[in-house]
Amino acid sequence: MLNEKILREFETILGKERILTSKEDMLSYAYDAYVEEYLPEAVLFPKTTAEVSQIMKAANTNRVFVTPRGAGSGLAGCSLAKKGGVVLSLTMMNHILEINKPNRYAIVEPGVVVSEFQKEVEKIGLFYPPDPGSSMVATMAGTVMMNAGGMRGIKYGVTRDYLLGLEAVLPSGEIIQTGSLTAKDVTGYDLTRLICGSEGTLAVVTRIIVKLLPKPKARRTLQAIYNSIDQAGTTVARIVEEGIIPATLELMDKMIIKALEDFAHLGLPLDAEAILVIEVDGDPESVDKQAGAIAEFCRGQGARDVRVAQSEKESEQLWVARRGAFGAVARMRPACVIEDATVPVSFLTRAIKEVITIAQRNQVQIAVLAHAGDGNLHPLVLCDLRDKEEMKRVDKAMDEIVDFAISVGGVLSGEHGIGIAKAKYLSRQISPQVLNLMRALKNTFDPRGILNPGSFLECAQ
Amino acid sequence: MISKTIREEVYNCIKCGICLTPCPVYKQRLMEPFSPRGKVQLIRNILEGRLNLSENFIRILFTCLLCETCTVNCPSGLKVDFLMKAMRTEVIDKFGLSEEKKVLFEFLTGQRPLPANPFREGALNNILTALFPIKGKAGTDPFNKSLHPNGQSFLNMVSEVIKVPQPKGRVLYFTGCATNYLDGAVGRATVDVLSRLGVEVIIPKEQLCCGLPIFFAGDPKMALPNILKNVALFNRQDVDAVVVECATCGAALKKEYPHILREMGEKTDKALALSQKVMDISQYLMRFDFGGMLRPVPGRVTYHDPCHLLRSQGVKNEPRSLLRKIPELEFAEMDGADVCCGGGGIFQWEHPEISEGITARKIENIENTGATFVATGCPSCRLQISGNLKKDGLEVVHPVQLLARSLGG
Repeated sequence: MLNEKILREFETILGKERILTSKEDMLSYAYDAYVEEYLPEAVLFPKTTAEVSQIMKAANTNRVFVTPRGAGSGLAGCSLAKKGGVVLSLTMMNHILEINKPNRYAIVEPGVVVSEFQKEVEKIGLFYPPDPGSSMVATMAGTVMMNAGGMRGIKYGVTRDYLLGLEAVLPSGEIIQTGSLTAKDVTGYDLTRLICGSEGTLAVVTRIIVKLLPKPKARRTLQAIYNSIDQAGTTVARIVEEGIIPATLELMDKMIIKALEDFAHLGLPLDAEAILVIEVDGDPESVDKQAGAIAEFCRGQGARDVRVAQSEKESEQLWVARRGAFGAVARMRPACVIEDATVPVSFLTRAIKEVITIAQRNQVQIAVLAHAGDGNLHPLVLCDLRDKEEMKRVDKAMDEIVDFAISVGGVLSGEHGIGIAKAKYLSRQISPQVLNLMRALKNTFDPRGILNPGSFLECAQ
Repeated sequence: MISKTIREEVYNCIKCGICLTPCPVYKQRLMEPFSPRGKVQLIRNILEGRLNLSENFIRILFTCLLCETCTVNCPSGLKVDFLMKAMRTEVIDKFGLSEEKKVLFEFLTGQRPLPANPFREGALNNILTALFPIKGKAGTDPFNKSLHPNGQSFLNMVSEVIKVPQPKGRVLYFTGCATNYLDGAVGRATVDVLSRLGVEVIIPKEQLCCGLPIFFAGDPKMALPNILKNVALFNRQDVDAVVVECATCGAALKKEYPHILREMGEKTDKALALSQKVMDISQYLMRFDFGGMLRPVPGRVTYHDPCHLLRSQGVKNEPRSLLRKIPELEFAEMDGADVCCGGGGIFQWEHPEISEGITARKIENIENTGATFVATGCPSCRLQISGNLKKDGLEVVHPVQLLARSLGG
């Protein structure tokens, strides 16, 4: 429990106006984009690394639990104060400190919003590829802690692939620097990439150095419509097998097509079983060639209709369906839980069919989106959280999806994280030895166990 | 009581947070309770009985510009603004309006007569200063810079019917309080443009304040007589359109009247019929070919989207197209033209500390275009912008004023 003394200590560090404690404020920090809710006892808003350091030091001494938080758009409950204590909101540390064009890197504070950062670097011809669906709200540190992915994963990888270094505050309050400004660095253990994806359990990130790419000069978008999910799935597998690397390769199933038509009337054929939206980028000549080759490829695999955008405007039109997919589905029922089990790409077709079967067997409504090129499924599970009986069936269906993914060499979560959402499945993928090793690492960073308690490490059986 | 359909909205919020960054208020404060998601979730806690209508909750609830940015961005299609407005009504129902607001709204509804010499320069200022006295400013707007009340109310200055020979059209004109009391020039420009285009203009003299500021403040009961009176006056089938040049009045007549009446259990058929006839002046003017009529207005113009025109009414291209027709007037799109200016009617009086930052960003974007004119179809936006401009030589106008000038008015 938070006592007056420690609160006053936080007040000395931040001043009264950057500490929230009222009931209304606590209720506003009890949730993120996951289902469960936990009330914190205070929310702190540091503006500098020094303040973060002082807060951690005070918390460590007094054994106060601290849970770091960005925008609270995470899907696994990682930013919730699961054991009480304080939420450390990094939203006010939101400055882009440097964009270095000659060396193609940038240094940002943790609370910078991903899409705003992307806009800034693109203004000077640079490119930061990680592009999670929440990029318009997610913070840079949030995406670092969750190792966020997104639609461009197939060509450009995920957040971890763009990290050069970090400044972080350890639970003890000590400030560390990891990595460097250079593109290559093999000095010691790679703590940068260890902290990335640690779901806020090892340290609080206060500065992030990311590498940037030159912005691709041209893009082309294609849309291919299929009568069977097999043909669409085979197309994806064959594109990957043939060594063609599109920037995005997205799949939408029949239920999504129907939702889109009901809601947005885009003129998509209701008897189609799947749509692929594919984008290639690069030099103008090469994108034309690639787009042509992929179009031919799709037709060869039995696509009934293939459209290649001839302009930026047409590209935008083809993206309307994919961008609107989540919203169109989410409107069908009160809640929409997003699964993200991931399989080796050659199992994609089987996985989608399996999800559809699981949905029917458990009488649950599931629409399937997928970052198909990565084998990253996004089954959208429609439900009403107030319907306890339905939620039991939803749980069972999600359980079966996870089991299937593991059975074909896949993973619990491709990009959303484990948190409290999937901790109970952790032992299905990770051996006890590895879990012990992870716990030992956690103990080295955080011997008093104050940082993000109740995380996947503790919840896992 | 909040109606069942609106109560149900809180369960459609999937807590994704997509509404955070686009929200101008959240962007200033960076604390969750200021965000639309935060407010929706607090309302859920209230409706489920975990939280009372506490003073702190009410304070949080009213830190919203009602700009509807969250509503248009919500992937689940949540009508966030309707939920906020319903909750405000619930609060005011229980606790009543503050004294300052009561006085202001009594003026607007006509329940309280204006001072003996209301239109003497400064007299109206004094009322407002008395209501919201903060260092000589009305919220973020310095009085001397922004508020210049009409010498006489606009409705008193014009005739009820402005005839033209061989009329090409016939419209009813809803003037709104701002034009009537503060900015008669916009009314004169509207009548002038319509007359020159051969349109007969009818201005019903008994029209009242649209009532929207009162509804937004949470008191639909107080606004109801005005709504009923206006619906009765303007629901006429013998005109092409009911034209409005104020974004907020337009939103009232087009979108909010049927909604408010439905929520209050009143009949909506007449309000719905009226809403079909309502057009923003820019929409109505699009049907005319100005070929050869427009004279040069040298300069550069940028356009600011009023929340209640863009998001409440979906009007985006028409004002821009009209401005582009004017010879020698270069059109320059500003960054973030669709972002709220931070005015929000009464909001900037109540929360100057939040408005300030939002407005500063807007002014910067306007001034970066190097424009000589900034045009926008909302009196509250015009007050907010003109009161906070940093550079000289920038004229804040309604698009119709530039058209009037180009037509030789």
